[in-house]
Amino acid sequence: MMRIVAGAALLSFALAIGAAAEDGAALFEPCRACHSLDPAAKVMPGPNLAGLIGRKVAADPSFDYSPVLRAVRDDGRVWTHEMLEQFLADPEAMFPAMWMSAQGLRNANDRKALAAFIADSASR
Amino acid sequence: MNRRQFLASGAAGALVAPVLLRPAPAATNENFRVKYFPVPEAERSRDVTACSDGVTMWFNCQGNGKLGRLDPRDGSYKLINLGPGSAPHGVIVGPDKAAWVTDGGQNAIVRVDNDHKVTVFKLPFKDYANLNTAAFDQSGIYWFTGQSGYHGRLDPKSGDMQVWKSPGGRGSYGMTVTPQGDVWYCSLAGSHIAKVDLATGNAKIVEPAIPNQGARRVWSDSKGRIWVSEWNTGNVSMYDPAADAWGVWRLPGERPRTYSVYVDEKDKVWLTDFGGNAIVRFDPVTNEFNSFPSDKPNANVRQMDGKPGQAWGGESGTNRLIMIETLQPPA
Repeated sequence: MMRIVAGAALLSFALAIGAAAEDGAALFEPCRACHSLDPAAKVMPGPNLAGLIGRKVAADPSFDYSPVLRAVRDDGRVWTHEMLEQFLADPEAMFPAMWMSAQGLRNANDRKALAAFIADSASR
Repeated sequence: MNRRQFLASGAAGALVAPVLLRPAPAATNENFRVKYFPVPEAERSRDVTACSDGVTMWFNCQGNGKLGRLDPRDGSYKLINLGPGSAPHGVIVGPDKAAWVTDGGQNAIVRVDNDHKVTVFKLPFKDYANLNTAAFDQSGIYWFTGQSGYHGRLDPKSGDMQVWKSPGGRGSYGMTVTPQGDVWYCSLAGSHIAKVDLATGNAKIVEPAIPNQGARRVWSDSKGRIWVSEWNTGNVSMYDPAADAWGVWRLPGERPRTYSVYVDEKDKVWLTDFGGNAIVRFDPVTNEFNSFPSDKPNANVRQMDGKPGQAWGGESGTNRLIMIETLQPPA
């Protein structure tokens, strides 16, 4: 019986992970109008987001960033998972007058799923 | 027309080659007056248009879901709630004299009459269209774009709405109607412009002179030529459907990023340049540019519109509206 419960819990956990990944992919769809997660993608209206976590803010060398983000980059600030989730809540609240104009995600689970999708190196 | 046809076209060559090679001349600004209108309660003020009363200006507040109405005579303004979750992007005035808003947050078209009564027309599906810009055709049909890759139409009288997936996928952005009644839109991600068949809703793509230019906004001049603000290249381009030919001009400055375009009643072309933090006026007759840098950093004017003698924009980065008045035609 214990094994069954443990198996069910594992399955439930796996399904939750899968659902989160699907949610993240779906949530990223509107972002694809300006951004790519494929490091080989052509120049787009917004910067390439491949390898975002752990790199400096405004560090896509092929993209000409706003003065607001260039200043953040010059301060040496680096993207973390937590920072990305906070950013997704209201991008312009974190970086006022940045060039990107996007609505934030009100739902914390959505932010978590989208951040996980962006951070996953397997995402394209 | 593909790129090879463009390069082989004598008309296109005549339009493009000289202006691309010529440095942009600068003109003086003595014939213009700039005035700012602070709207501090309007979060991220953006698209503007003249109200049908001939005096006030509508403006969107994308950050707090409101439509604003400014009285330029004294700088006073009102804010109108558009609904829960609202994030308005574009606003135009219809033949019914009301303001019509593309509201990405509500995934809806919103009508606001001059008494500020709000009517919401939800899209007929739940996909996030990321509604962007709109234009009325000559029969009073409201056409709109969604950056997720849609264009559609709404009949204001019946409320009937149809939405199509735009060819080429995501990116459908600016939209304009010509004096001849044609409806065009552009694709930022797709880097093209497209003409809509008003009967079927099908759109036919016209490829640009320079690939991957990032066509963000479009505006027709009085001759039906389509002016395009190119985000990726920092250029302004013009497609002449009659000649099937393009002209391309680079904005002044070291790193221009051309966000929006508006053509005034005298066919002068107004552009917003994020790289130069400026509004730029281009005279297609003289090939001269006037530059109007903002007096504050990071102004981020994302759209322009106007009325005779006045070009207007919303500084989304400073929560101000800006009006540039042409005092007299430059000599």
